[in-house]
Formats: sequence, C-alpha cells, structure tokens
Amino acid sequence: MRRVDLRWLIVLLANLLLWWMVGTANHYLSHFSFLWLDHASIHLSIGGLFVVFSALRLDSKHGWITVLLTGLMMDSLQPVPFGTNMLLLGVVLATLLYGRRRLPREGAIFGIVVALLANLFLVIALSFILVGTHPRPGEAWMRIFVDLLASQFLILTITPWFLALQERTMAIAHIHPETGRRVML
Amino acid sequence: MLPKRFDQARPFFTLGIVLLAWLFVSLVVKTFTRATFFEIQAPLVVADSYVQDLQTFWSNRLHSKDELLIAGRQVAGLIADYDFGVQQNKNLEAEILRLENMLNLPPMPAFRFEPARVARRDFSAWWQRMVIRKGENYGITVGSPVVFAGGVVGRVTEVYHYTSVVDLITSPTFRLAASVAGENRPVSYQGGLNDSFKSPRGTVEFVPLDVFATRSLPRRLVTSGLGGVFPPGLSIGDITTLEPSADGLFKNGEVSLDERLGTLTEVTVLVPLNPEEM
Repeated sequence: MRRVDLRWLIVLLANLLLWWMVGTANHYLSHFSFLWLDHASIHLSIGGLFVVFSALRLDSKHGWITVLLTGLMMDSLQPVPFGTNMLLLGVVLATLLYGRRRLPREGAIFGIVVALLANLFLVIALSFILVGTHPRPGEAWMRIFVDLLASQFLILTITPWFLALQERTMAIAHIHPETGRRVML
Repeated sequence: MLPKRFDQARPFFTLGIVLLAWLFVSLVVKTFTRATFFEIQAPLVVADSYVQDLQTFWSNRLHSKDELLIAGRQVAGLIADYDFGVQQNKNLEAEILRLENMLNLPPMPAFRFEPARVARRDFSAWWQRMVIRKGENYGITVGSPVVFAGGVVGRVTEVYHYTSVVDLITSPTFRLAASVAGENRPVSYQGGLNDSFKSPRGTVEFVPLDVFATRSLPRRLVTSGLGGVFPPGLSIGDITTLEPSADGLFKNGEVSLDERLGTLTEVTVLVPLNPEEM
C-alpha cells in the first residue's frame, strides 16, 4: 500500500508556526519605548527563511509545494497583489534548486547565508513593488533599512533553531527529508 | 531522457509554468483562495489576543477590595459625566434635526457603533493595518469608518467571518478628503510617513494659500464628510508644517498624528445603517 507523503505538510506547519510567532512579535514591536526613545516601531520580515529547508533539504516536488503554499499563506495576510510572495519565493527556490548540486547543503552556516541573501532579495523586491504607493518614497527607505537590519539580525539568530526544528520533526515522523523513505531514529 | 542542459534549467521551467498558470487563474478563484488562506490562519491571529484578555482578567482578579472600591468610585464619577454628555448629545441631535428640516437638507448618514478588540497590529513601511475581532458575524461591511477616543483610526478594507482588517490613517495606502477645522474647503490627506524612531505623520495636499500652520501654532485637521464614508468633524491630527506646492497654487504639509494609534486595544467601527446611501 502506498504511504501518504507528509513532508510538505510538516515543513508548511513549521513555516506557519514561525509566521505566527513573527506576526505576534510585529504586533508588540509596532509601538514601544526603548532607552531614551519614546517612540520606536520595527517590522520584521523573514520570508527568506521559509525557502531554506525546502530548497536545500527537501526534494524538488515537495519543495515547490511547500514554498508555493507558504507564499500564498503570506499573501493572504498582507495587502499585496495576491500571488506576489508566492512568485518571489518561487524565484528564490528556482535559483537555489538550479545550483543545488554545487552547494554545501548540510550544516547551519550555509543555511544562514542562504536565508540572509534570500531575505535581502525579498525585501528589496517587495519594496520596489510597493514603494510607488508611498507619498514620499525617499523617506520610506530609511524605515525599510532599519526594518531590514532588525530582520537580518533575527534571521541570523533563529535560522539554526528553525532548521533544527524541521530536521527534528522529520526525524520524529521517521521520514528522510529528501527521499521520503522511512528511516529509524 | 532529457538533455542535461534542460535538466539543469528545470526549476526555472517549473517557475515559468507556475507563473503562466497563475496569470490564467480567474479572479474569483484567487479571491476565494485568499479568503480561505486568511480564514485558516485567523484562529492563530486572534489566539494571542484572547490569551492577553485572559491574562488581564486574572491580573484584575488579584486586586484587593480597597482598590476595587476606589476604582468603583472613579467609575461612578465618569458615569455621571457621561450621563450629562448623553443629555447634551440628545439636545444637539434634536437641534440638527430641526435645522435639517428647516433648511431641507439631506439627513446625515446614520451609523451603528460596534466596539471591537484589536487582535493584531501590523505596521511596516509599506502598510499599516490591524486585525479586529469582529467581522461578518457582527454585520461589519467593507469601507466602514473606524474611530477611537482621539478621532479617526482608519477604514475597514477586508471583512472575514470572525475578523476584519482595518487600514490605518498612518498607512501610505490611506487617502481621505479632509478640511482644516473651522474651514469648509476640502484638502487631501494621505498617511505614510512612518519613521522607525519618530511619531507617525501624514501628508496634506491642496491646502488653500491663505491657511497657515507651524509647529508652535498647529491647525487641527478633521474629516470633511465629502465622499460619504466618514462623518464630518472627526479629528485626524494636527497640521504642523505648510509649504507652497511646486506649482504655487496650493500648499502641501505634514500632519502630526495621535501617538495612541500604535497602542490601540479597542476601537469602534461605524457600521452604516443604510449602506446604499454611502
């Protein structure tokens, strides 16, 4: 009997968990006081992190399913044309899959580098798409830069944990991420 | 077997197919998919807000009886103040009705006040919006104005079954016909100046040349009532700077907005009683 392959669902649920946690963090970071600053506001964007495991550890088919569904999940909560994040994440995934054979796929360090570069691309691409609606585009860049710095720092900190979470969940489910074969702990 | 070069480029081929398929998917399917994905995540979005309510409930339970008695006395004072305010409001409403009848004016749009808890705030450089914990289940409609004690909060842009999304006046996507308090000439307001370490600001355009405002002598900006969505006279913010526009016909400037917009936990949605009049 053919076994149901749940790799895409495991990674998607992990992405959903992180997406919810970052959304909650953004809620509390929307207005806060810090040291001598009475008003501070930061928005964290970590889209680049959602592609790493799908691109480096999963097989191509499950990688696509996960990334496209994650993109739609992000699009539904953001006021962007529906499908924007899905296609941007798709571009990052396609690029990573193209060079996958030449990349060191194991280990957290390369995962961090990929997440940082992917996130940088996503933030810049999204900024160019949306900045046209801004009344003074020149003034928006400073805010985007501060948000990007905070987001990159967060990615630098949590990527090893997030990759380990996905690896561990796969191990608990006795699934090899790339082949989908049943493995024993 | 596929040639090696094609095999390498397969990811971009797949991306091309996805892009093509997405372009041909109808708008109805996209709208339905978006609503479905939102509703799937909605329980997560509101969950922490309910946990926060529970936390507040239990922390309030820890107050002593003496503290509750003092709070009760303060509330009694507030209720007396509000009773007086309600009476004044009734007199003013009767006066408005009398003037409308006398001058044959069309009636002001009527609203039902629907208080709602804020579940999630999402403030970025590109958008500023919040999710509230009421939706179709309370009859909230797209376009309904949202207000708080300090004036305008924003406008409902998306309505789902149990939640709604509000676009804030601080958002670059928010535009509104406004007027300077005490004037009846319309000006255009747009949000969007949201620095990381400064209070939120908006911009104002098409201000007549004879209107002046400075940081020391700001002018209040209120809703004009034009466009029919917002009732007139609701506070938006204070115009702090005004400079002649490039063509010299009008003035442009900045509007300082209420700091509390970033910490709101409760707002009121003005649900139109006759949406077709809006």
